[in-house]
Amino acid sequence: MTKESLIKIEKLSKTYKGADEPALKNISFTIPGNEIFGLLGPNGAGKTTTLNILCGYYKKDSGTVQINGYSLDKNLKEIKKIIGVVPQDIALYETLTARENLRFIGNMCGMRGKKLNNRINECLELLSLDKSSYRLVKTYSGGMKRRLNLIAGLLHEPKILFLDEPTVGIDVQSRTVILEYLKELNKKGTTIIYTSHYLEEAEQLCSSIAIIDYGTILIEGNLQSLIKSKSEYSDLETIFLQLTGRKLRDN
Amino acid sequence: MLQLFSSIYKEILIIIRDKAGIAILFLMPMVLIFVMTLIQDSTFRKLDESRLEILFLDYDQDSLGMAIKQGLQGSGFFELATTYENKFLDQELIHQLLNKGKFQIGIIIPNGATNTIRNKAELIVSQAFDSNDSTNINEVKAQDDATIILYFDPAIKNSFKQSVKNSLQNFTFAIEAKITFDYLAEEFSDILSSPNNIYFDPKGSIRFEELYATDEHTEIIPNSVQHNVPAWAVFAMFFILIPLTGNIIKERDNGTAMRLEIMPSSYLVVLIAKALVYIFVCFIQFCLMLLVGMVFLPMFGLPVLELGPNKMALFIMAISTAIAATSYAILLGTIASTHEQAASFGSVSVIVLAALGGIWVPVFIMPGFMQAISIVSPLNWGLEGFYNIFLRGGGIKSILPFVGLLIGFSIISVFIAYQFRRFRKV
Repeated sequence: MTKESLIKIEKLSKTYKGADEPALKNISFTIPGNEIFGLLGPNGAGKTTTLNILCGYYKKDSGTVQINGYSLDKNLKEIKKIIGVVPQDIALYETLTARENLRFIGNMCGMRGKKLNNRINECLELLSLDKSSYRLVKTYSGGMKRRLNLIAGLLHEPKILFLDEPTVGIDVQSRTVILEYLKELNKKGTTIIYTSHYLEEAEQLCSSIAIIDYGTILIEGNLQSLIKSKSEYSDLETIFLQLTGRKLRDN
Repeated sequence: MLQLFSSIYKEILIIIRDKAGIAILFLMPMVLIFVMTLIQDSTFRKLDESRLEILFLDYDQDSLGMAIKQGLQGSGFFELATTYENKFLDQELIHQLLNKGKFQIGIIIPNGATNTIRNKAELIVSQAFDSNDSTNINEVKAQDDATIILYFDPAIKNSFKQSVKNSLQNFTFAIEAKITFDYLAEEFSDILSSPNNIYFDPKGSIRFEELYATDEHTEIIPNSVQHNVPAWAVFAMFFILIPLTGNIIKERDNGTAMRLEIMPSSYLVVLIAKALVYIFVCFIQFCLMLLVGMVFLPMFGLPVLELGPNKMALFIMAISTAIAATSYAILLGTIASTHEQAASFGSVSVIVLAALGGIWVPVFIMPGFMQAISIVSPLNWGLEGFYNIFLRGGGIKSILPFVGLLIGFSIISVFIAYQFRRFRKV
């Protein structure tokens, strides 16, 4: 698989049981390697559904997905080894300390011993949680939990990292630390697929984007090229609003 | 193995950090077994301090009244009250006191009751020895029978009411037999012109010997502790579903289950670790409940719980019950959408299964169709297995059918949970 298509999605469809409308309607797009790719869209557009299918948590109805040359249908185990996921929820054990959470997650990814300890120390330090790492997670602030949630997803140094709204509900300081860290991670070769409502943040972070609405990809490509492609596109927000409209979405 | 041990360690940390949870897991079953055994024991055993007070009004003031009074007092279960707040009893007062629930039983012996027995006995004897006497005994019976009035609190249980009636019938039969016998002896004395040296033995010549159908070489004596501790232990072990379903549902709701499912390791490892830890917790619960029976209950005058000679059978039975209880919790935790749903349905279902299984009321006194249903309750299998060990002195062989049923139930529960999980996967 080339750098241009680390992830290749073709005619991907998904309808939830009991739903009238499909959540994804034959969507196709590619995600180049070593990029920060923003999958953007209003509430209920299909972003989380797409991410959950890509990481093998949800079943797709039809279509094909290739990740790093592996087929999602045939090589899920291989795919799981090279991906990391940071879910929108704080998926941590509140009554364990940060270190205990990370040690457990590391062990579940097959890491152990000194290598794991070093990696935990490195991540905690980079995201400024080293001094509070022996505290129970339930005593953490929202921002600290978000940073720890991020570490839990990338502890095993995945080649591809899926982030589902990783900066929701946190202060500017924590957000800045997270975004800086993601840029750093990308420089080291990690491909990041990221969903967010914060368009300014996405514009600052992403090299390429796709905008999805009602289960359909509306636009896809290099962000700067897209902005330059039409005179009325001054920034990402104008592109977003022009394509998705101003109607309120209640999921 | 790394994943399994790590998951086990994580579960243990979560349990020991939850202080309220530990209290629910370990203290509540001990309290339950303590309270239930004490209550159930005091219902049946003969304790001076727990004698039932009966209102007793004796208009007869003769042999029958005295015999009933002595019989009831001598039984050790009852204390007779002939006055209330320095007032002598009458029928109206007895009615009022029972109606207010201040007493449960009132007995009124009618005036001349003993004389009625005497008249009838005299008639029977005279008819037996005088062929010219044509009086119809049935007519005499219909006209002159004395009626003892029994007042009962409407709230009193039927079985208890029946046992009081049976006791009274025994006392009246004995006094009737004695009076009739005395008349017969007197008649014989007259006929034979010799002094009356025949006497009536009220104890009779039939004795009763109680034998327990236990296995040989067992020294276990059935008592309330031997009955109650295993019964309530099984009940309490199934309540492991409250913390375990909570644990499963919380993991699903906060996204940790999702995180674990998309990791390279199998989520099944996490589930197995969870089950192993909770089976161990169940086993510790069971040991603590045995400890209550062996150490704490005797402090309150109850017999010491005897574990019997088959410790291995006891261990196998405890582990099998723990596996069944844990599997049931995994099934509910998987099916239920919320913790409230799992906790309320789970608690009610355990109470229903306990009632069906003979924890509350022995199966043999249930109606026929309920007895048939009771055999489907896993709590019944657990209870019968423990009874084989604690009361019948049985060994491993005697519990194998119940162990098989419990393990079969566990396999089916986990299989359904697994299928349901697959079905629900989006």
